[in-house]
Amino acid sequence: MAAIAATATAVTLAACGSGDDDKAATAAKPTGTVTVKVWAWYPEFKAVVDQFNATHTDVKIEWTNAGTGQDQYTKLQTALKAGKGAPDVVMLELQEIPTFALTKHLVDLGKYGANAVKGDYAGWAWDQVSSGEQVYALPVDAGPMAMMYREDIFKKYNLTVPTTWDEYKAQAEKLKAASGGKSFMTDFGANDGGFMTGLFWQAGAKPYTYDIANPGAIGVNVNSAEAKKVFEYWEGMVNTGLADTTAFHTTDFYNGLGSEKYATYLAAGWGPGYIQANAGGAAGKWRVAPLPQWTAGANAQGDWGGSSFAVTDQAQYPDIAAKVAMEIFGAKNSEAWKIGIDKAFLFPTVTPVLESDAFTGKTYDFFGGQKVNEVFVPAYNGVGDLDWSPFNSYNFNQLTTNLGQAIEKKTSWTAALDTAQENIKTYATQQGFKVQ
Amino acid sequence: MTEVQTSPAAAPAAAGPSPRTGTQRAARVKEAATGWLFALPFTVLLVAFLLLPMAYAFKISLYRSTLIEGEVFAWFDNYKQAIDDPLVREGVVRVLIFGLLQTPVMIGIALIAALLIDAATSRFSRFFRLAAFVPYAVPVVIGTLMWGFLYSDSIGPFAWTGIDFTSSDTVLASLGNIVTWQWAGYNMIVLYAALQGLPRDVYESARIDGASEVQIALRIKTPMISSALVLATLFTIMGTLQFFTEPLILQPLNPGAITQHYTPNVYAYNQAFSFQQYNYSAAISFLLGAVVFIGSYIFLFATRKRSALR
Repeated sequence: MAAIAATATAVTLAACGSGDDDKAATAAKPTGTVTVKVWAWYPEFKAVVDQFNATHTDVKIEWTNAGTGQDQYTKLQTALKAGKGAPDVVMLELQEIPTFALTKHLVDLGKYGANAVKGDYAGWAWDQVSSGEQVYALPVDAGPMAMMYREDIFKKYNLTVPTTWDEYKAQAEKLKAASGGKSFMTDFGANDGGFMTGLFWQAGAKPYTYDIANPGAIGVNVNSAEAKKVFEYWEGMVNTGLADTTAFHTTDFYNGLGSEKYATYLAAGWGPGYIQANAGGAAGKWRVAPLPQWTAGANAQGDWGGSSFAVTDQAQYPDIAAKVAMEIFGAKNSEAWKIGIDKAFLFPTVTPVLESDAFTGKTYDFFGGQKVNEVFVPAYNGVGDLDWSPFNSYNFNQLTTNLGQAIEKKTSWTAALDTAQENIKTYATQQGFKVQ
Repeated sequence: MTEVQTSPAAAPAAAGPSPRTGTQRAARVKEAATGWLFALPFTVLLVAFLLLPMAYAFKISLYRSTLIEGEVFAWFDNYKQAIDDPLVREGVVRVLIFGLLQTPVMIGIALIAALLIDAATSRFSRFFRLAAFVPYAVPVVIGTLMWGFLYSDSIGPFAWTGIDFTSSDTVLASLGNIVTWQWAGYNMIVLYAALQGLPRDVYESARIDGASEVQIALRIKTPMISSALVLATLFTIMGTLQFFTEPLILQPLNPGAITQHYTPNVYAYNQAFSFQQYNYSAAISFLLGAVVFIGSYIFLFATRKRSALR
């Protein structure tokens, strides 16, 4: 910890020298053990905190589980608006970073040396949390997508593992005929904006053009040709009975994963942990293959989910909070990563951990002993860039509401995208953005 | 005004032409002060937990804050927007339909159950009374989650019917079922308590006159507890207009059918906590509060002769 304190001081001095950081310059010198409050929601985080506290003497993490996803964001928004009650370090999903950065409540970690660890991350992952030299959060885990499939069902009906979306559809038709409509090729949960965006991402759609450094302007292109291509494909799959539309994260969905209802599950890097926890009955039957491609032989990928650690403007010692955010799941903290990978099923964004044998060579009994990360790691490396809007709740709401209603009323999915585009443009204009 | 008629000062004034003296006035002041003292704890709570938050909500409903430009005073723009908002209207219409269908069904079930238990005097009736009350003791969130599982088409006990309980055609009825399940027992207890308060000898004379039990139930008991019926109906109407928890909890099951603007309350909640539109949310909430107040008042006025809340 002496090293951290020394670096922190050095950084503080450097910041004073450049004269562009009032906060660091005026921050009081800490005396004694500094307590850094952290909000994160996975239960297994406790072990990581214990390990951190056991190895540090002058900084201590005080961990709170303030709820998952939107629950935590609601509390955080309220605390930030109130001016007190927010943690020093907070877990944010990647798509939420512009939302919190816009209100200027996130500390620029670039001023505390975060750019030094840029090389530890894939380019796209770093772009998710930064704008030029400004760094709003440190990536922790990501959700590169892949196709999980039931080997037993594939064998039973003589299906081959598809590599393109055309093949995927052909196998789906074969499955429907052979199983008498009992099994669906997959479930397309219309209640998850992150899932849809992951598929758009793979198809090369860029729903938003947005730079946190220029917060007043935004390009909205939610109904792009690429996004429409994805929706047309899935509308066909759903309307011909090849894909189900049960909402994700519901009991019926978990049952479908555990029974023979779904032959595949288009999952993310955190999927192995998720599926083991929710469909334990199908242990040993699932396998993982790369996400089918739009063009044969391509390596286009998309991301669904992932989280980061950001420092709020309520941190008393932003330099120390920044160090904690960088160190908890940093490239060198292999102890924490061991817990994160084995217990919390995090998909690491730091390259040294990601490419370590411990991770790529890890076998999963649930997947019949398969080394599933051999699929997920190339997927992670193949993800392209994507900007999120600074109003992602509204974005996801528009996607899920309009698609949900299109499915209910059997109306066009692409028209649902057009509606979303119009509503989002109106909302953005009302919020004062210059919309392109 | 009833207060004037029943005030203690009115009695001596009506009794004789004795002029008011200074001591009488002092006594009245003292009485009034005592009255205020008794009302003080309630007043403090009312101001602290109802009026002040309401005033604050009203204040923020007059502002408009945008992500880029910050907060500006906007007069009644938010209210104008809410009245013109088709999503608010959709929610209001849905809630009205829901109330018109659900209220009579629930009060009807509660009344029938109350009359039955009142007529029966076995040990079974005591058990039934408790059993019917149990759903009310279950928190709304838990009850709704439980029904969510019961509606499931893979593990639910009604899966064999093949009915999708959360499709856009059926979900309003499914929600109505949850509300009825939750509140019918409570209303039944209210009505049953009113029935218990009726003088038993009335039934005796009715029986001597040759009235059947059904006739006693419908022509004697029901009219005599009409004030309790009005009260139960009023609470149901107010509850219906604030319809919130059930759709919010079941929303993940089918967000296409239970939209984020399903009821005005759900809409206001999402505006505030998902889209950071606190000002607009406050305006919607205030409008809704006004509608609840006016709706309750109209109902009370229409039923004033029978109302227990005169």
